[in-house]
Amino acid sequence: MSRARRPLALVVGGIITSGFIAAALLSRIWTPYDVAAFDIDHRLQGPSAAHWLGLDHFGRDVLSMILVGAGNALSVSLVAVLLGAGIGVPLGLLAAARRGLVDELVMRATDVVFAFPALILAILITAALGPGAINAIIAIGVFNVPVFARLTRGSALSLWTRDYVLAARAAGKGPARISLEHIAPGLASVLIVQATLQFSLGVIAEAGLSYVGLGVQPPAASWGKMLADAQTLAAIAPLQAVFPGLAIVITVLGLNLLGDGLRDRLDPRLDGEP
Amino acid sequence: MKVSAFLGLAAACLLAFAPVAQAAPKDTVTVALQLEPPNLDPTSGAAVAVDEVVYGAVFEGLVRLDAQGAVKPLLATWWEIAPDGLTYTFHLRDGVKFQDGTPFDASIVKFSLERAIAPGSTNVQKQALSVIRQVEVVDPRTVRLHLSAPYSDLLYTLAWGDSVMVSPKSVATLATAPVGTGPFRFVGWRRGDAITLVRNDGYWGQPAKLKTVRFRFIGDPAAAFAAIKTHEIDAFPDYPAPENLAQLRADPALKVITGSSEGEVILAINERVGPLADVRVRRAIQHALDRRAIIDGAMYGYGTPIGSHFPPQNAAYVDLTGLYPHDVAKAKALLAQAGYPNGLDLTLKLPPPNYARRSGEIVAAQLAKAGIRVKIETLEWAQWLDQVYGRHVFDLTIVSHAEPMDYGIYDKDDYYFGYHSAAFHRLMQALEAATDEGQRTAILGQIQRQIAQDAVNGFLFQFPRLGVFDARLKDFWLNAPTQTIDLRAASFGGAGGAEASTQTTSGAAGAIFGGVLALAVAGGLALVAVRFGAAYLAGRAAVMLLTLLVASLVVFTIIQVAPGDPAAYMLGLNASPEAIANLRHQMGLEGPAAQRYLAWLLGLLHGDFGVSYTYQTPVAALIAERIGVSLPLAGLAMALSIIIGAPIGALAAARRGKAADTLVMGLTQIGVAIPNFWFAVLLVMVFSIGLKWVSAGGFPGWEAGLVPALKALALPAIALAAPQAAIIARVVRSALIDTLTEDWMRTARAKGLTAGQALWRHGLPNALIPVLTILGLQFPFLLAGGVIIENVFFLPGLGRLVLQAVTQRDLIVAQGVVMLLVFVVVSANFLVDLAYLLVDPRLRSRAR
Repeated sequence: MSRARRPLALVVGGIITSGFIAAALLSRIWTPYDVAAFDIDHRLQGPSAAHWLGLDHFGRDVLSMILVGAGNALSVSLVAVLLGAGIGVPLGLLAAARRGLVDELVMRATDVVFAFPALILAILITAALGPGAINAIIAIGVFNVPVFARLTRGSALSLWTRDYVLAARAAGKGPARISLEHIAPGLASVLIVQATLQFSLGVIAEAGLSYVGLGVQPPAASWGKMLADAQTLAAIAPLQAVFPGLAIVITVLGLNLLGDGLRDRLDPRLDGEP
Repeated sequence: MKVSAFLGLAAACLLAFAPVAQAAPKDTVTVALQLEPPNLDPTSGAAVAVDEVVYGAVFEGLVRLDAQGAVKPLLATWWEIAPDGLTYTFHLRDGVKFQDGTPFDASIVKFSLERAIAPGSTNVQKQALSVIRQVEVVDPRTVRLHLSAPYSDLLYTLAWGDSVMVSPKSVATLATAPVGTGPFRFVGWRRGDAITLVRNDGYWGQPAKLKTVRFRFIGDPAAAFAAIKTHEIDAFPDYPAPENLAQLRADPALKVITGSSEGEVILAINERVGPLADVRVRRAIQHALDRRAIIDGAMYGYGTPIGSHFPPQNAAYVDLTGLYPHDVAKAKALLAQAGYPNGLDLTLKLPPPNYARRSGEIVAAQLAKAGIRVKIETLEWAQWLDQVYGRHVFDLTIVSHAEPMDYGIYDKDDYYFGYHSAAFHRLMQALEAATDEGQRTAILGQIQRQIAQDAVNGFLFQFPRLGVFDARLKDFWLNAPTQTIDLRAASFGGAGGAEASTQTTSGAAGAIFGGVLALAVAGGLALVAVRFGAAYLAGRAAVMLLTLLVASLVVFTIIQVAPGDPAAYMLGLNASPEAIANLRHQMGLEGPAAQRYLAWLLGLLHGDFGVSYTYQTPVAALIAERIGVSLPLAGLAMALSIIIGAPIGALAAARRGKAADTLVMGLTQIGVAIPNFWFAVLLVMVFSIGLKWVSAGGFPGWEAGLVPALKALALPAIALAAPQAAIIARVVRSALIDTLTEDWMRTARAKGLTAGQALWRHGLPNALIPVLTILGLQFPFLLAGGVIIENVFFLPGLGRLVLQAVTQRDLIVAQGVVMLLVFVVVSANFLVDLAYLLVDPRLRSRAR
């Protein structure tokens, strides 16, 4: 990986991600038009000065819908990541600290989750719980748990062999205290990088669930649902399918670049590599 | 080398199923339906799609209805009704034979009708037919029905698909291999895709002109448009996408027919819910609705506004659409009067069809303007039947009541919208007593007014009948009052051509792939056992089994928790609780969960996945059929992703740090970021709808020939492969860069190899290890991860089978497929681990 590309990825990823978050936050207080306002007489208009991205099949402003969709994508994926990390990281720390049976149990549990194709499990979960934003978060979050658990465990195991941890043990600190005071801080950079990548996977997963109708419910806007609505209109209004798709691609691209950039900057394992 | 071997294997497997391609005959008609019938037995279950496919074509009853709703002779040539209305004598047609050779006579009538009303029968019309006290065989050509009470609608009931004549020999297999007396006979069903009928040459009447009828199932509006536009479909009698009709009308090769159906689309209001019991609140809702905007917005202008629960095309129709003009201020005033000056909060539960979902969004926006804040919840049909129809847990819902003359539901006790009115009940009694047509019409008018004045429900619009047909298709008749598609007289102008062979060979591809997989697994295991000892292998296998066991428990629990009763789903709106209980018993849904789990698990252990509730065929056979699509698709996508991704990655590695590397890696970043279903939609727009190179969906089956089958899989495979190729390019690049810096690469250069030779001989083989790992891990995800892609392209694969099984509450199928996928994932992980051990000597010592 060339040195020249590193800051570029970080900068581009950072700019796109900031834009995404800004759009998401902005949509909570202001959108160019009210997304609840239907104007059926003017539906499916193309882009114009008044409506930069045109109007959808109910005559709603597409730009406003995409902003609201950003808010939805951000909240669902962010909470799913926090959920996954909130459960996965403590489990990983526990497994690394206790080893033995606890470790084995945690790892086998992650095996079970990983044994399911992600989307299939998400569909089963939403079928049982019903569609909606909260259940989409659960369905996506379930997959983040083992990812964080394994990453935390793996990294923590190597930290447990470090001299400063041995010193802390010699000083009589218990495993729980060592985990919190010495292990967890050392994992921060690895976890931040992983969180960014899981975040981007979450955005795609949320779009997929909404596309099959299992995500956030109307009238709330989501990019996946916009795509699903647009698909039947492909023959008469092809642009309808283009804008939400581009929003997904740009957001995911930004998050991936940010993740890569952060990894190059933060991950100590890459130190000294060309 | 490993890659080319894999490709060779895949190609060989594909070639093995390449029979001779056939010319398309023009005495074959392909009719598209939105919904696939769950089974083909019209005497059990309420699915409209069953009647559409087999009633009239395969099965016939004693009488039928014509387009005007008049009763006409069919298997009975004439009949007499005793003056007291208690005895019906039918004279039967001579020389009629079932397609299995059984002659049709009075004993068949006795058998068929007694079967419908027997205890344990799941016939939807059981209650109505139970008025028959006795079926008396007078002689082989004459049968007499004795009723327990006069029932003026008996002839109509006998004209429904539920009352068809069945051959006693065939009743055990009616669901999967229907046998009737009709002009067509059933020959094959590729589940998820198509049902094929061929002309019955031994038919008693005028033989059909068409030789073959294929029913295909396309519910997705986008796929429907592409299929009719590319002439894959000759007839779409119930076209799901009104937004495209204007365009289809402009096509001279197509004929668009629009009319009114018998379906009233209503905003049903649950009168059991506090505020909604108040007629002022219900009237406020009426004033808040703007029917024109709903019809324009949801139906693109197709549909007739209605003001009550009655079809405008009926002679007795009274136009009540002016009773509650769209008036937001009035609505607010009424709400305030009722004690809700600040509006109120309601939920609107919407079933899956587009008309309901779209109308629902518009209705919610309209009600919001009047201060009624509506929360939308979208439901699958199974959930809708359970929550709304069964348990009455809802405030508002939108649904089309498709049954003709169904105003009687407003007189039903405890119907789902909970309307009770003594005045209405008196009107219904007066209607039943009415003798002449003028009196009847007058009472029907009063009935409409009563419902409208009580603002029982929001009456939105009469559902339009939108049909799109090949312009050459003649005499294709949609029997309006009953749900049937009558094809006996249909033909293409001046038709003629070769016969189509339509036998389906299920899952041959799957069987071979399965065999290859089993061989590979066995070989791998043997190798590992020899090198690392049986104890290690046993340990790993135990972990694997434990994972599978826990996973099976998780699957079973989640699926059993899912709300929605499969029996209620199958029997539909008019089923009696008794019929549902009977079906639940038949399906083995009773008993404690633990017992059912164990039974299922034991079955799985010896390869018995159970029998599908809806299709009534073994789940294993269904899976085998679907694997024949999913496995080649996954293989094709994987091959494509390697062919595209590996060279790109190698190029980037070779030009590391240069502009080409940066450019290529930037592109792969974009590739990884593209959701495959969006890419799929774009591909359909460009290559199917725009360029018309390939069909937009469906799968012709391997027996249709290699080229059509591969053409159908091309776009889905590309859509699946694109993000995958980007990942592979990135992995290949970093793997190559890692190996290039190894000491032995320097040694290779030192002994005189050029950079290219060193890369080719020493770099690539070593770099393949991580690539193969990624492939091994991705394969099961390609197999299952095509769920959305299979939906975009309407491929009858495993993913769609799961989605469909979940929505139809075909629990046993959902459980089986998910377990299979879990098994594949776990096995793939296991194999990848073993491959690592075999390839990387450094790991072996640790394994021991």
